Amino acid sequence: MTGQLRRGAERTAALTAVAVAVVLAGAGCARDTSGSTPDAEDGGIVHVVCGATEEWCAATTARFSSTTGVRADFVRLSSGEALARLKAGRGSVEFDVWYGGPADGFAAGGAEGLLTAYVSPNAEVIPARYKDAGGIWTGVYVGALGFCSNPKLLSERGLAVPDSWADLLDPKLAKDIGIAHPSTSGTAYTALWTQVVLAGGDTDKALGYMRRLHPNVLQYTKSGAAPAQMTARGEVAVGVIFSHDCVAAKEAGFPDLTVSFPAEGTGYETGGVALVNGTKNPVSARKFVDWALTVEAQEIGPTVKSYQFPTNPGAKVSDKVVDLHAIPLVEYDAVEAGAAKTALNRRFDGEVAQAPKS
Amino acid sequence: MTLLLPSRGRTPDPAVPGPPRRRRLDLGVRLLLVACVLLVVVGSVIPLVAVLTAAFAPDALPRYAEFITSPVDLGILRNTLVLGVLVGLVGTALGFLFAFVQTRLAVPGKRVLHVIALVPIVSPPFAVATATVVLYGRRGVISNGLFGLEYDIYGLDGLVFVLSLSLFPVAYLGLLGMLRGLDPALEEAATNLGASRWRTLRTVILPLLAPGLVGPFLLLFVEAIADLANPLVVGGDHTVLASRAYLAVTGEYDVPSAAVYCVILLVPSLLLYFGQRYWLGRKVRTTITGRPSGSVHLVDNWVRWPIYGLALLVAALIVSIYGTVLAGSVTRVFGVDNTLTLDYLEEVLAGVGREAVLDTVVFAAIATPIAAIFGLVISWLVVRHLRRSAALLDFAGTLGVAVPGTVLGIGFVLAYRPERYLGPIEVFPSLVGGSAIAGGAAAIVVAYVIRSLPAGQRTAVAALTQIHPQIEQASTDLGAGPLYTFRRVTLPLIRPAFLTGLSYSFARSMTSISTIVLLVTPETKIITSQVLSAASTGRYGVAFAYCTVLTAIVLAGFALLRLVVGAGANLHRVASPVPQFPRSRDTERPKR
Repeated sequence: MTGQLRRGAERTAALTAVAVAVVLAGAGCARDTSGSTPDAEDGGIVHVVCGATEEWCAATTARFSSTTGVRADFVRLSSGEALARLKAGRGSVEFDVWYGGPADGFAAGGAEGLLTAYVSPNAEVIPARYKDAGGIWTGVYVGALGFCSNPKLLSERGLAVPDSWADLLDPKLAKDIGIAHPSTSGTAYTALWTQVVLAGGDTDKALGYMRRLHPNVLQYTKSGAAPAQMTARGEVAVGVIFSHDCVAAKEAGFPDLTVSFPAEGTGYETGGVALVNGTKNPVSARKFVDWALTVEAQEIGPTVKSYQFPTNPGAKVSDKVVDLHAIPLVEYDAVEAGAAKTALNRRFDGEVAQAPKS
Repeated sequence: MTLLLPSRGRTPDPAVPGPPRRRRLDLGVRLLLVACVLLVVVGSVIPLVAVLTAAFAPDALPRYAEFITSPVDLGILRNTLVLGVLVGLVGTALGFLFAFVQTRLAVPGKRVLHVIALVPIVSPPFAVATATVVLYGRRGVISNGLFGLEYDIYGLDGLVFVLSLSLFPVAYLGLLGMLRGLDPALEEAATNLGASRWRTLRTVILPLLAPGLVGPFLLLFVEAIADLANPLVVGGDHTVLASRAYLAVTGEYDVPSAAVYCVILLVPSLLLYFGQRYWLGRKVRTTITGRPSGSVHLVDNWVRWPIYGLALLVAALIVSIYGTVLAGSVTRVFGVDNTLTLDYLEEVLAGVGREAVLDTVVFAAIATPIAAIFGLVISWLVVRHLRRSAALLDFAGTLGVAVPGTVLGIGFVLAYRPERYLGPIEVFPSLVGGSAIAGGAAAIVVAYVIRSLPAGQRTAVAALTQIHPQIEQASTDLGAGPLYTFRRVTLPLIRPAFLTGLSYSFARSMTSISTIVLLVTPETKIITSQVLSAASTGRYGVAFAYCTVLTAIVLAGFALLRLVVGAGANLHRVASPVPQFPRSRDTERPKR
């Protein structure tokens, strides 16, 4: 009887081993041919790493599923976090598409081989300045960096709404400015790179500005949009954020907030969509990229309080969206910004964010 | 019998009493030991080794020289230590205050106070900190709205406040069990000999509680220096190592730098740990019996009122903070626009959040009993059965909390994301990430277990050191095997500690963030990472709604655990005037 039992156990073990081996052979195959997976292996699902707001991510994946019939789910991660996660996942890819968040991060990811080029047929209508020449990423929205002010606090300090980068250095604003940390936040990196552009490409000068701004910063938040809430609650007087995040905070119950833009010129983000290198669902993933560039997809934002400017010229623009032509913008080269990202953030980390405050 | 079960023939018969030497371990004990070792090796040793490999890789070595020469880095180290010590002291003091009020003061409303003191054990990350900002921040509803202050809570003061309030229930629960376990006869004796209340407290109660006081202090210290969520919200410019490591990992995937920060973060934890062991080893504190005999004389003179008042003040703070979380989840923007709305709760319970709520509850429910039982078993093995390897196992069990969650998370990613092949044969499947088995759920459950196991282990170690080994020896001398003794003698004696372990494991699993945030996949959504997402994008209403739901679930879990495990007779000793074990008392007394 024991012999039978043992034989039974052996058989079970052997069967399990065979089953595991078969499964792993499949997985091994998918990994070996990463980047050029045969289309037949598509799982009919899209895993999205999403850099937009939770609501937007949810609404977008839901609408994608209902329109195309392909299942989709997402994890929301800030720009730097998404990049780190993709790096960690090299070799066993878990995401298929990266959607939303400044293109700088996409460019950095492309340079590291984390993304794969895909030029969607729908990308034709997208203006050239909103897409990567190499096809690594395609823009789905544009948003301008701005100042989000709490007028009550500013008037208490005897200050007007800031309209230049220099205004933020006023000693009266000590510990009264909210901005994120560029390591995690694409928003804050956009602000940092804007300083580089304004300084004519001189990174020392740009970091010098950030150092002078440092005594006025209450704390560097993780997420770029967080200072909107801090400003709204009066924890800080001015937040340096994307203007659409300020508009969203106004909508959420803080009507007093004021959006303004620096006269010297401000940076902007092109929110991208890109295919992850080695995706296990290449057909569905491409379908998602194609769909994300359509008018239907780009009109979702305003329904969930995300007032970015759509890149598809055919998409209806909500009247709450900031008119990009009416504000002074710097020449923002996402590819160049992306290439400098890692080194510049490390310098910021060492030279600015850890500097003791006076 | 032997004919029917021939394979059992070789196992030593547990009914035969072995020699009283405890060096040769019983088979059952050995199996338990193997299980425990396996768990800690898979759950914390391997991930830690993965991180250490990164920390001592050649490219990371110059970072150490940089660290010890940089005044900024040293400042961060000092910040971290100062925070740990302050939170440890304040949190333990608060815990003692509440436990003392509960067990030694004749005041009304103790049950309410007990419940209030338990509430922060469910501190979902960000909830206390954000609510504190809302109430006591620069424009706080109370600090500014009520008192007209513009107090800047960002920095060390805010962190100590938030962390002490969030973490003190651990100290409270541990000390409560111990104060109730103290033999009132000792106090009685001291009082009869003419000692004042204060003198009794100083020379009898506190020395007896010392091991119990060091435990929570250590736990609060390591939790405070490893905490991630609160420095992100109210840290101001009080930068600490954990948040530096986090930024290095999540911002740049700079594993070497993060690993270096974490190695440095580990040093104070280890120093404290061994210091505590040495200190405990020198003094043996045991009560005469495992169970208290006699009844406690409660303090009923004027002294009780100031102490009670202090406890009430702290309770009021807790109520205000959790009230804000609750109010914030049903108003549009609490403090600014107090219009009632159910949108946020609806989103959590019926919308996007439902999946997260379900996943989290299932994972935590699986992890809780595993963590609590292993915590208890490890502590029992450590205190009673192991000699030289005891410190090692105890330490390995504590790793889950000594190692900052972010590092553990990264360790999981480094160690378990790739499938392990031995030649062409796969020996270990991928556990982490969207392509892993069970959508990454296995790794999350293991992380829950590892992160919440030390709490049960610490309380159980503290409780076991208070029980004299002779009680168990009596059982073994009468012929019971170690496992039987454990089940029938040890377990009932330390049931309050076990309940604490279970409750705390459940709460910790439900509220764990720093490890989990690196392990969530599209298929496994976790409440805390949803809170993080909502709070960091400024959607406080949703964050508060998640926290409210989370708190409700954990409290329901506590109630269920109390029902299943039972509160234990010795949790309500004070209420019974008649000693419940007169016989054991009689037999013990002549031994004096």
